[in-house]
Amino acid sequence: MTQKPDVDMVAMSIIDSTMTAVCREMGIVLMKTSYSTIFNEALDFTCALASPQGEMIAQAEYCPSMIGGVPLLVRSCVKEIPLETLEPGDVICHNDPYRGGLHCPEHTLIKPVFVDDELMGFAMTIGHLQEIGGMVPGAFAGEATEIFHEGIRVPPVKIKSRGEDVEEVWKLLLANVRTPRYNYGDLRALIAGVDVGERGLAKLIRKYGKDTFRRNVLDLMDYSESRMRAEIGAIEDGVYRFQDQVEDDGIESKPYDIKVAVHVQGDEVVIDYSGTSPQALGPINATLGVSYSAAYNGILQVTDETIPKNSGCFRPIRVVSPPGTLLNVDYPGPEVGGNTETHCKIAGAVIGALAPALPDRTMAAEGATHTNFVFGGTDEESGEAFVCYAIELSGWGGRSFADGNDATDSINGNCRVVPVEVFETRFPFRTESYILVQDSGGAGLNRGGLSTQRTLKSLNTEIMGSQMSDRHRNRPWGLHGGQPGGLAGTWHQQANTTTWHMIDEAFGKASPSKWSNVRIRPGDSIRFQTPGGGGWGDPRQRSREQVIEDVAEGYISPTSARENYGLDGAAEAAE
Amino acid sequence: MRALTLGRVALADYLVGIDVGGTFTDFVSYNSETRAVDVWKILSTPHDPNEGILGGLGRFEAPSDIRNIRLGTTVATNAILERKGAKVAYVTTEGFRDIPFIQRGNRRSHYDITWIKPKPLVKRRNCYEVNERIMSDGTVHVPLDEDGVRAIAQQIREEGSIDAVAVNFLFSYVTPDHERRAKEILEEELPDIPISISYDVLPKWKEYERASTTIADAYVKPVVNNQVANLRERFKESGITDQAVVIKSNGGEMTLEAAQRTPIQMTVSGPTGGVIAGKHVAKLSGISHLVTLDMGGTSTDTSTIVGGQENFTTDYEVEFGVPIQIPMIDIRTIGAGGGSIAWIDKGGMLRVGPESAGANPGPACYGTGGERPAVTDANLLLGRINPENFLGGEMALDLQAAERAIASVAGPLGRTAEETALAIVQIANNNMVGALRSVLIERGLDPRDFALLAFGGAGPLHAADLMNDAGIPSGVIPNYPGQFSAFGFILTDARVDVQRTVQMTSKRFDQARASEVMHALIETGIAELKAQGYVKNIEIYRSLEMRYLGQNYELEIPVAFDSFTDETTPKVWQAFHDMHLARFGFNIPREVIEVITVKATVVSLTEKPDLATIGKADGEPEVVSTRSVVFDDGRHETPIYDRAQLRDGHAITGPAVIEEPVSVTVLRPGQPMKVDQYGNLLIGRIAEES
Repeated sequence: MTQKPDVDMVAMSIIDSTMTAVCREMGIVLMKTSYSTIFNEALDFTCALASPQGEMIAQAEYCPSMIGGVPLLVRSCVKEIPLETLEPGDVICHNDPYRGGLHCPEHTLIKPVFVDDELMGFAMTIGHLQEIGGMVPGAFAGEATEIFHEGIRVPPVKIKSRGEDVEEVWKLLLANVRTPRYNYGDLRALIAGVDVGERGLAKLIRKYGKDTFRRNVLDLMDYSESRMRAEIGAIEDGVYRFQDQVEDDGIESKPYDIKVAVHVQGDEVVIDYSGTSPQALGPINATLGVSYSAAYNGILQVTDETIPKNSGCFRPIRVVSPPGTLLNVDYPGPEVGGNTETHCKIAGAVIGALAPALPDRTMAAEGATHTNFVFGGTDEESGEAFVCYAIELSGWGGRSFADGNDATDSINGNCRVVPVEVFETRFPFRTESYILVQDSGGAGLNRGGLSTQRTLKSLNTEIMGSQMSDRHRNRPWGLHGGQPGGLAGTWHQQANTTTWHMIDEAFGKASPSKWSNVRIRPGDSIRFQTPGGGGWGDPRQRSREQVIEDVAEGYISPTSARENYGLDGAAEAAE
Repeated sequence: MRALTLGRVALADYLVGIDVGGTFTDFVSYNSETRAVDVWKILSTPHDPNEGILGGLGRFEAPSDIRNIRLGTTVATNAILERKGAKVAYVTTEGFRDIPFIQRGNRRSHYDITWIKPKPLVKRRNCYEVNERIMSDGTVHVPLDEDGVRAIAQQIREEGSIDAVAVNFLFSYVTPDHERRAKEILEEELPDIPISISYDVLPKWKEYERASTTIADAYVKPVVNNQVANLRERFKESGITDQAVVIKSNGGEMTLEAAQRTPIQMTVSGPTGGVIAGKHVAKLSGISHLVTLDMGGTSTDTSTIVGGQENFTTDYEVEFGVPIQIPMIDIRTIGAGGGSIAWIDKGGMLRVGPESAGANPGPACYGTGGERPAVTDANLLLGRINPENFLGGEMALDLQAAERAIASVAGPLGRTAEETALAIVQIANNNMVGALRSVLIERGLDPRDFALLAFGGAGPLHAADLMNDAGIPSGVIPNYPGQFSAFGFILTDARVDVQRTVQMTSKRFDQARASEVMHALIETGIAELKAQGYVKNIEIYRSLEMRYLGQNYELEIPVAFDSFTDETTPKVWQAFHDMHLARFGFNIPREVIEVITVKATVVSLTEKPDLATIGKADGEPEVVSTRSVVFDDGRHETPIYDRAQLRDGHAITGPAVIEEPVSVTVLRPGQPMKVDQYGNLLIGRIAEES
């Protein structure tokens, strides 16, 4: 590949790595000062820098689901708060999915960066606030049918003006949530993050001068674009199709199709979602921002990861998503699960579609759910409300060269699971066990990763719980002859009994995976199992040594070794 | 003083620092009679590191002259990185044996589905569960099933090949009784197998991080035991002193016996020497804030000294996803060094590292088979390194090979070889500036308040540019930049860090309990030092780790007193609010503060070498030659100086190159430098002020 002769590849490289370092510094401040466990332990946030035109010019790798949303977010903000009214020290707060946001819990803070009174860009932090009002503590109302059920909507408003808090906005925000003290701390952390970003970017621009900076940033986006074009160009032209499902919407017991056609032509790709189901009544819908992000995510996963992540990467990728569908929801449809449950299935379908063209870069289905469990109650001692958003890990799909990873976050997040000791210190549950699930990885030449199962017992406080999950009915798909991964499940056990019931049966819910406001009484137990990854290739081709080792380590049972892998007799011998 | 050699000195009394590295083992000796310091290095002997140690000590004609040996070693780290440790059994709370396998679930890179999750240092079939349970408030929910522990011991015995056991129970950091009792039982039942319990290794919350650290301790214990036992044996045979100590990750020393008990403490042993030495240089030179930069062939370590004190952390991963959270000097390592390779990426962008030519094949100019351009090749092409005087002339460099290698990337880049070489150095420097920024700005420290102390073979070569690029006004190039870590080892103190999780809040702060915990910790620290034979010059440092109620990461606040009273306690809260503001740019004045950990550090100061001065300058420094050197602003005919000839008070203004056997110091045009009384080269503002 040839480069433009007038591009200063050295200065560009230095400016790129410095901006990325600034984004990382923003992230560290967020992690260290925020209050919600989803924020500081799970790291569900993103830090980015944008140009005055809203193009993302740099980001640090925290949460991938948010990457595609950045340009839409900036553009929707400046539509309502014109650029010329922005002043140094202003900070905009925003969360509205119908104004470029991804889902209501995700709050975006944007700070303009001025150098010598000239607007040069924006510092942005996007973070998941665990409680935002609405019909359930923790926002993931599995039975929501309108955006208003999901929590407070915040259109772009200045939360700080010329360096001073806008008290009215703070009051309004904190009066509409169950945990104002936590939200206050998390918003302060997000603001501290954009402060770091603003200072870092301004310093960089002063060092190189505005013109040099601007030219290099444009070159940098062109560079990422050309790298991405080279990657796409290397994929054989063609139309690649795949489809997956969200098993239900929490309201009606019927599946919703996600249809993906990946048109590769030369160095461009069009991802067309036509044929996808109409939008759901329940909260599994994706906004256009989510559908864009998912398409970008799928392509980024199968291309060179060293391409600098900025808006230039996305130029050769176009997305067609008809309105009124699952993947481009119309107002005021609910959509809180679109970002966590639907995004990963869209990205997975893009990867699955490209599997014939890129056999060594794709994988079978991962669990593709965050098993979101949200709950709230009142602390007995302090009388303060608490709310928690907990995620779980699932199995990754098998790959041409390796087994799927056990217990790993789905590809639209990169969250860490909250330690048992942190969880129990904060919330009135006792964890009875937290284990890998034997045989949950789909059998294959390279098997799927194992899923997890967690059992919680409620202690002394009545808790209101809700869930947004999937793959309780549809198993994660295998590839090239690999078998599907194990199903997820949620069970409930009443205090002083020994029988487990599926949660939908126990509480008369339409869906086993999406439900709202289940009352968990002291002594009740609840159990969450996540889906395992799909297998890759024919399990009977797996080496006998690997199968015997898996049995010895307890990853697969002797029965599965016999029935799925065709191991005779030796499995018992290995025990 | 550098020129002094070791002769047969009557009544000699030597202190020896040894840094066992991957390629070289470095030695520094101090003769307390003559005050002479001598340095040497030999090739390491990875198959048997003790062989290299003994070999290097062979330089002493009378081994009994050695009074004290201080050793930095990578044996523990290497055992982990190469997965050559012990076969470990893991014993944990019922329901939780999968914690080391589940880990935390995040991945190294977002957009890389080819990533493979790291495996723990234990097999799942060797994990055992005990019926017991402690709650977050420290109460016992299920008492320890002692028979169950004995049954596990029986299984381990029957298994037959387990070398070490790691025990980690939930919430043991609050109530350690179950772990301690389990240890007693296992020691009774398995007298020949070492037992590590998490409360001894890392008494802190977060079960995966604690499990990983405790398993790693058990994993390296037999390896370290063998090496240390062998070393003690060979010292004895050779008539060398038994006064030998090992350097811990916290920069303190511990006896060989202590190292055998808690080997995980020496994970980051070697690099701490540079920080300790830096602290000493800073003290002698009256520098309060120092950022250290140890640039070697494949990696660069950075760390800070603020107000004369090094910084500590427990946040360390030996590789992605494998945390080892022991108290250690906060040293950040990046994969950039003299051997880092320059390459053109698919988009035509010039990149440097993280791949390194290492020692084999080495940079192209070594003439040992390397064909790709390394940072050292670029420095050679720019005239900054003298091809005739590399490693004191022991290795002639091949300029033409360097030119060929640089040309291989200059062509696609459309630039001249010289422009390309300069770009390679600039990009490598920018990578290192990123590392410097990360240790400074992440902590809210302003580079303008700091001096850069650069060492390692390549540090002095890049120091002047890095000062310029990172906005650090002053620089120091110490003596022995190539053996500076080993030099630090002759300056260490004995140091014990102890901590306990308490979890109290400012709203309900039990002053009596906090005072009691603090007193107990200090006593423990003193007792531990005493057991190792350190009883003199005791210093005590106390601190609390705190956060706003709801946050999950703590700030460490030093406290100057043992007892919490109505008078002293409010000062602690104010200090937290102040530090939160300084560090993160905001605070929440009326918020409740949570106290998580009480910490105490007990230090026994050892006698420090009384370093000799180099004598006053008499006239101008001698220019030994000149050569053409390329700087950012173009080519300059540049005077070359021999560092051995420089004396106290000599001043030089760049452009200039100062050569010594293992390193080269480059001064940018206009940059001032002055030599101090110990022979340190002071650069920039500090040279003008001194």
